[in-house]
Amino acid sequence: MQVAALKPDTKQVKIEVKNLTKRFGDLLVLNRINFHVAQGEFLAIVGPTGCGKTTFLNCLSKLIPTSEGNIFIDGEVADPKRHNISFVFQEPTCLPWRTVRQNVAYGMQIKGFPAAKINERVDFMLDLVGLTETQSLYPNQVSASMVQRITVARAFAVDPDLLLMDEPYGQLDVKLRYYLEDELVKLWQTLKSTVIFVTHNIEEAVYVAERILVLSNKPTNIKAEVNVDLPRPRSLIDPDFVAIRKHVTELIRWW
Amino acid sequence: MAYEEVKVKKPLSLILLPILSVLTFFVVWELMVQLDVVPKTMLAAPTQVGSLFVTKLSDPNPDGATIFIHAWVSAQEAFIGYLLALGIGLPLGLFMGWFGVVRGIARPLFELIRPIPPIAWIPLTIFWFGIGLGGKVFIIWLGGVVPCVINAFVGVRMTNPTLIQMARTYGASDWQIFKTLCVPSALPMVFGALQIALACCWTNLVGAELLAADQGLGYLITMGRRLALPDLVVLGMVSVGLAGAAIGVLIDYVERRLLAGIRR
Ligand SMILES: Nc1ncnc2c1ncn2[C@@H]1O[C@H](COP(=O)(O)OP(=O)(O)OP(=O)(O)O)[C@@H](O)[C@H]1O
Ligand SMILES: [Mg+2]
Repeated sequence: MQVAALKPDTKQVKIEVKNLTKRFGDLLVLNRINFHVAQGEFLAIVGPTGCGKTTFLNCLSKLIPTSEGNIFIDGEVADPKRHNISFVFQEPTCLPWRTVRQNVAYGMQIKGFPAAKINERVDFMLDLVGLTETQSLYPNQVSASMVQRITVARAFAVDPDLLLMDEPYGQLDVKLRYYLEDELVKLWQTLKSTVIFVTHNIEEAVYVAERILVLSNKPTNIKAEVNVDLPRPRSLIDPDFVAIRKHVTELIRWW
Repeated sequence: MAYEEVKVKKPLSLILLPILSVLTFFVVWELMVQLDVVPKTMLAAPTQVGSLFVTKLSDPNPDGATIFIHAWVSAQEAFIGYLLALGIGLPLGLFMGWFGVVRGIARPLFELIRPIPPIAWIPLTIFWFGIGLGGKVFIIWLGGVVPCVINAFVGVRMTNPTLIQMARTYGASDWQIFKTLCVPSALPMVFGALQIALACCWTNLVGAELLAADQGLGYLITMGRRLALPDLVVLGMVSVGLAGAAIGVLIDYVERRLLAGIRR
């Protein structure tokens, strides 16, 4: 195994991305991306519009094949059938014909968890994201923020090795976002999952993540890496927070 | 419930208009026949048809059975053909929508057979089944199976691709995706097929009976022609229409009950 290129850390390496390259025909989108994610780390990725963030996540989750390079989970090539990967998509992906409860259970059912375990786990997750009361409603009967909470709860419920989130709160208003970001951090702290969180929003990235990767324009590479060593709960007006936010903004100004 | 249903009150004129148009239709029809605008050998007046209907409730003459026997025979044929069409067409369409292998095998054959009107099969059917129940059921089945396949196929094809991606990231197998995503997504189209297939079955039933039958509503129409009795012909037509409409209402009701349970 190679020496960690970007994160020389004592923590155990969980995810290893080596030389990840993606072309669509002649269009080189992702250009030899290398990085590591530690077990239980919360990594945020920010990058300009159209730089290939969604493509990047699709490659990581094996939804689309990579042109070169690969992604390794615990040293093995990632495979959704064997590894426990969850993906929270940019658009809502609740199943309209299932109740909130059945939606949260969906990932576990696909993975063949035993019924008793599913029940117990769903109860736990519903409680954690505050959906216990609405569990027997259908997705079109609950508010937009709840819909995203259902998908987040479903994603965490399978206890993923790797949780990928593609701007999950991009379409919500600011207040709800703050609320859901807090909830997300709480979920992550409770369940200790490894998270890769893609966003446009620098403040959001600094608020939730332990480390931020800043992507360049196409052909995309990792332009910079910023550690966010702030205590939690974080404050948006803490001078350290503001300093990091400004630093990342500064990096992005040259996009 | 998040959304209250909005109740719109219909203005009186909108309730009266359909009644008025139907009434006018029958009155004009009656007058045309009574005033000999159309000769009585070519068309029967509504009142004649009505009185014949009352007679035919109990009188098996001149065609050999009462109207109920005819209707019952037709309904049996139609329902057997219809159920077989659903039972074979819907699964086939669903599988064709999702599994490439099934699509590869079944689609070319389906596209070849589809443009042949079911009535064109009648001669072969007579060779194979004679004029009994089997042949007519086969013709009816042919008519009903096509919309079943098409609707189920299109329904599966309309499955939201992001949902499929979502399931894939959880490691779902093709069969799991089919079962948990494609089939529920296709349900509204499948329910649409229930109506369309029934209409097709019913239409083909009359076609099948026109050529090969000794009982049934289509046979009633044929007999009317042979005996040169326009009132019998029209009675047969009206019965087919009314029975078809009644079945349509029934299916609509069942569909709504089912949909309310499965999908909101
Ligand atoms: N299937 C595809 N075929 C060809 N080109 C593609 C395909 N998918 C994405 N691209 C191209 O790859 C580039 C990156 O797209 P992608 O959707 O990954 O960007 P993004 O960073 O997620 O954008 P946004 O910030 O708007 O979500 C775009 O220029 C896009 O045109
Ligand atoms: Mg995107």
